Amino acid sequence: MAMDGKELVEKLAKLSQVQSIKDIPQLTHALFPGTHCPLMGAAMAVGGIKDSLIVVVGTDECTYYTKSMTIHSEKFGGIDGRCVSVVLDDHDVTFGSAEKVQEAFKEIIEEYRPQCVFLVTTCVIEIIGDDFDAISEGLSELYGIPVLPVHTEHFKCEDHLPGLERTITVCAEMMKSCDSDNSVNLLGQRMGDFATTELYAMLQKAGVKIGLQLPCGCSVDDIKNAAAAKVNIVVNDIALPLAQKMQEKFGIPYVYFNKFVIPEKIYEAYKNLFGYLELELPGELEGLYQNAREKIEKNKGELEGITYIYGNTPYAVFEMNCFLSSLGMVPQVIQTNRYTEADEPYAKEILQYTDPYVCKAANIAPLQYVYDVLSPYLYLGHEFGNRLRQKGIAIVHSDRASGMLGFEVTGYLLQQLVKSVREAKEYRKELGL
Amino acid sequence: MSLCRYLPVPSDRMGIIWSLLSVKDSIILEYGPAGTTHFSMGFYGTLGVDWQHRLFTTHMNEDDVVMGDVTRLEEAIVELDKSYEPKVIFVVASSISAVIGTDIKGVCNYMQKEVQAKLVAFEQGGFRGDYSIGLTEVYKLLVNNLPCKEQKKRKKVFNIIGASMGSYRAASDVWELQNLIREAFGYELHTCLCHETSVDEIGDIGTAEINLVMRQEGLPAAEVLKNKFDMPFVVSAPYGYAATLTWLEEVGKILGQLPDVKMCARLRLKAQNTASLKMYAMMMGRKKTPQAAVIGEYDLVKGLSAFLRSVGIDVKYKLCSHSLKSIVEPELDIQYISVEKEKIDILKKMQKTLVLADDVSHRLCDSSNVVVRVSAPFIDGAQIATHLPLLGEKGTDFLLETIEAYYQTLA
Repeated sequence: MAMDGKELVEKLAKLSQVQSIKDIPQLTHALFPGTHCPLMGAAMAVGGIKDSLIVVVGTDECTYYTKSMTIHSEKFGGIDGRCVSVVLDDHDVTFGSAEKVQEAFKEIIEEYRPQCVFLVTTCVIEIIGDDFDAISEGLSELYGIPVLPVHTEHFKCEDHLPGLERTITVCAEMMKSCDSDNSVNLLGQRMGDFATTELYAMLQKAGVKIGLQLPCGCSVDDIKNAAAAKVNIVVNDIALPLAQKMQEKFGIPYVYFNKFVIPEKIYEAYKNLFGYLELELPGELEGLYQNAREKIEKNKGELEGITYIYGNTPYAVFEMNCFLSSLGMVPQVIQTNRYTEADEPYAKEILQYTDPYVCKAANIAPLQYVYDVLSPYLYLGHEFGNRLRQKGIAIVHSDRASGMLGFEVTGYLLQQLVKSVREAKEYRKELGL
Repeated sequence: MSLCRYLPVPSDRMGIIWSLLSVKDSIILEYGPAGTTHFSMGFYGTLGVDWQHRLFTTHMNEDDVVMGDVTRLEEAIVELDKSYEPKVIFVVASSISAVIGTDIKGVCNYMQKEVQAKLVAFEQGGFRGDYSIGLTEVYKLLVNNLPCKEQKKRKKVFNIIGASMGSYRAASDVWELQNLIREAFGYELHTCLCHETSVDEIGDIGTAEINLVMRQEGLPAAEVLKNKFDMPFVVSAPYGYAATLTWLEEVGKILGQLPDVKMCARLRLKAQNTASLKMYAMMMGRKKTPQAAVIGEYDLVKGLSAFLRSVGIDVKYKLCSHSLKSIVEPELDIQYISVEKEKIDILKKMQKTLVLADDVSHRLCDSSNVVVRVSAPFIDGAQIATHLPLLGEKGTDFLLETIEAYYQTLA
């Protein structure tokens, strides 16, 4: 039982052939495990919004897995917590689910008294065409609380991120105009604690008040008052639509401060942010920038020529691969589920160094056979460490980067890369490679 | 059912998939969005079934949904057949493909000539009922599709039908039944639907002498095998010493062999000893009446309730955790409550009751009750042991310990 790794690789596209996401193929037709679902993304986002309730409208299966995910979550309040559902049966598929949802809402309001409800629809609802925008509006009026529709059909998108994006974007409906308190909102941080980041420390030192932190931890009231901010900081693409909406609605500018690893990009983001805040750029940033540059120079030699396969990390995919390519590292395959105009400059720069294969992410079963053909030193993302070790490959762990923003990201990445390269060399020695 | 605050009853599709994951040398291909497959992995992992290189998804995009294009499914079937060379590919519908009416069976029919693996279609997309219906379907479809035409009878082997990995202690219960039959008759297990079996084992399922059906949902499959291969069967889930003894005697009648004498004597003695508990219960009953609630799958509720009655405990509530549609002539006092709120109200009112149920039910009971986990869902901790049954002799040993503990709370 084996796949032909060579054949798999030959079927892949090269980065130079990619114009849009449609040009990025799946590694195989049959996937395992496949991408996460936008429903899961929506649940992740609601988890960070205190006093709100998620109501999943879907099949037994969709609702079962979503509830299971929240059962041991403190954020959700455990089994009795903020995740409930309306389960569809064949009758609802034929005659519509509105009545059942309205019925369930009476119980929801009585028992949970939520300040806000995210009414999350799943694939089947979108197919049968129940109008949940209208249903939500009706329920909002009836009960006097925001009932916000979030559509999470997976057949229209690639992975779970649109679920997060739509959940936080719909929050704009709750925001109201208010006087500025010169604070900044942090938009798009999915995991980790903002308070542990370098960016947070810089803002604290500059005396900047932190407003809304969506979706990593806020209350419904924080969302309602989010328009008091002077600037929005967007730390992930999932928050771009919300930031754009807030700019249109309230005139709040935003700074794109993704989890960059290129020091110049980080410095630029800091400069933009402090510019919008009309504050002097903290002097120590220059030191941090120089320090990041020094680390690059110090470690470059050890990383040069090191081959790797890119899986899934908290970093910005193409910016990060561009950075690694500039260090002389060799991406053999880049797995990604999105490719936008913003990625193009990075892709062009990568192509100056090398032309890696590209394919969609979250399909690790057939990847095993690709490793045998390409024999990379490193795998960046989630995989089974022991299995990779037997092939002479070391994993570059990156989960801790979720709680980082700023120059610290560059330092952490370099540190992890060097550690993993040394491990990979050991593994390869063990295998006689 | 309107609002679901906790976990809904797993669907027919979920029951089918966790059963098929127990069939080695096969692959399950889901025709649906990838997210469902990914989301399900954690759940199947907790049930102790292995999905590595066994569970795949095609994913579906808008074109597939709007245009009904099945190219993606065709290509995935060919690819899996070539890459993994499975003996069988089970092609399982999703809620989406079921709603849009994809003809999975038709696709399998015309794709069969393109591949070496046998293609078996499961068109249940989660809308035909709960997992109890799914189990009935999966056992039936397996015995209709996989067994070879010719079956040469083998001596001293038996099959089990009705194991479900979604049940609490399923692997342990199978282990116990195996041990009991081995000790009583010297027979060995040939195949078990569906626990740690394989395509080949199901292929010659008809070679065994007898089928032991441990849950009602296995009955239609047992009838298929009786008609196809003239295989006798016994339907029983033996809870309690006396029930275990009766079950062994019934099996013995069909096999034409008496169960091991020493074993019978041991079980008889244990059954007699439990009678003292009944007396104890009667004595206690003058002050506080021992009472129980049993919540779980139909055969468990039926079997455990009968056992509890035999030791002097009044079973006040017998609640089935799934619909009774697959159960032939269910006992009238075993109820399936589809409205969650009604079930919650019952559980919240319970006082000083022995509650044999699942983890969610337990959380809803107050601390005056004695709770014992006997059914799914199990959310507190993991299920690791495969030697701690609820069925049979060893299962009864365990249950008696909990009953003793319960009696102490009534003193």
